Amino acid sequence: MNPHTFEVVAEVLQQQFHVEPEKIAPDSSLQALGLDSLSLMEFVFAIEDRFELRIPEERLDPRQSQLTLTDLCAALDEGVANRPLPA
Amino acid sequence: MPRVCVTGYGVVAPIGCDIAAFDDALFGGRSAIEPFELRLPGSDPVRVPIARCRFDENATRTPSRVPADRGTAMALTSAASAAGAAGLEAGSVDPERLGVFWGSGMGGASTFEATCRQVYGESRRIRPTSVVTAMPNAPVAELALLFAARGAAIGFACACASAAVAIGEAMRALRDGRLDMAVVGGSDALLAPGVIGAWQAMRVLAPPGQDAAHACRPFAADRAGFALGEGAAAFVLETEAHARARGARWTCVLSGFATNCDGLHITQPDAAGQARAMAAALKDAGLAPVDIGHVNAHGTATSAGDAAEAQSLHQVFGAGGPAVTATKAVLGHLLGAGGAVELLAMLRALERRLAPPTGHAAALDPTFKIDLVQRDARPLAQLRHAMSNSFAFGGTNAVLIASRAD
Repeated sequence: MNPHTFEVVAEVLQQQFHVEPEKIAPDSSLQALGLDSLSLMEFVFAIEDRFELRIPEERLDPRQSQLTLTDLCAALDEGVANRPLPA
Repeated sequence: MPRVCVTGYGVVAPIGCDIAAFDDALFGGRSAIEPFELRLPGSDPVRVPIARCRFDENATRTPSRVPADRGTAMALTSAASAAGAAGLEAGSVDPERLGVFWGSGMGGASTFEATCRQVYGESRRIRPTSVVTAMPNAPVAELALLFAARGAAIGFACACASAAVAIGEAMRALRDGRLDMAVVGGSDALLAPGVIGAWQAMRVLAPPGQDAAHACRPFAADRAGFALGEGAAAFVLETEAHARARGARWTCVLSGFATNCDGLHITQPDAAGQARAMAAALKDAGLAPVDIGHVNAHGTATSAGDAAEAQSLHQVFGAGGPAVTATKAVLGHLLGAGGAVELLAMLRALERRLAPPTGHAAALDPTFKIDLVQRDARPLAQLRHAMSNSFAFGGTNAVLIASRAD
């Protein structure tokens, strides 16, 4: 996992969603962040906008209970790696 | 019938976001109105007057954690101040007996416009929280969450009378014994280009000219309309028994309320309907016209609006009537929040026994037979009861009367 990816995710969680820093760790499950389903959807939107990519739906359903922040970061890193190079 | 006490209030207004700053500008007659150049596709650029709050909605955390519409953020901020003054915290009173009554004229119109701009202009996705951010009852819902209220959470949308109706209906619920306590008020934050443009298209906004601060001149011979503003004011209301039991303090009570409608025209005001509403509010308060020492007029500075209100005031109070102030000259027109912020101005006048000035020096319309407090605040040593008028597009009239508690 790219440590920068996790830092950005943690920053968005704290600043936009007011999640307490102690709840934010790589192995935190999305469910344990204290966000309801609507806020989780909004969080994924915010992260996708921040990284300027879309995570495939089959890769990440934020309502799925066991997904962790590491899983989210892995999907983001993969998205960044696969992004087409500027022409 | 239980007395309804005002045990706390808070404000976010173009003239100030705390009571000290609000008072300074209000009683000093200092206008917050400034010019704004409106640029919209399909229209020539035009200068309009606006009254903007020095307020950062991004500093507000909503209890629901969804992004805050600017109006909702103002509602939360003003209500937090009111609750602080009243000593109200979530869980400190019986939640089943606590309600929220809130007015907003156009609710989350700014958020809705921003969403449309993102989708149609920038090809971006609609956010999952768009509905709950933009819905007209978003402020009510967030306030109910903030205070964990379970007794009522009702939004009122009747244009410029929204907040006055919300406050009056809460007063009725307290008098009827349905609730012990209510957080009430109104908010609107609609200084988005599309919304300003919609008001400009109605030709009700005053030309800002060289002196935008004095663009809105209620009851003047050369009145030319109002300035669109934004803001919120919140009050904690409670029955006297409840306030006494928890050791709360108050200086004013809400003593009368009436609302009716003209049922005649979508925008044209009706002096007879306004006069009936004022008379009904006086009856509700058990007061005679002569008891009212000060009126905060609706006073939009439109040609027809001021003419109707001058006529209805004269009809109700006759010659030698109360000291009338039209605070939209300094506040701007706060739409759904207007009735709340103007009630606050009226309560401050009652507490200080001082009528704020209307804040312009223009010659008054010679056909109006009202006693307008114009350039300087006027001491009113005998002031005990005051009235605040809110008359809306759509024909809703709402009149609140408050009295000193001493």
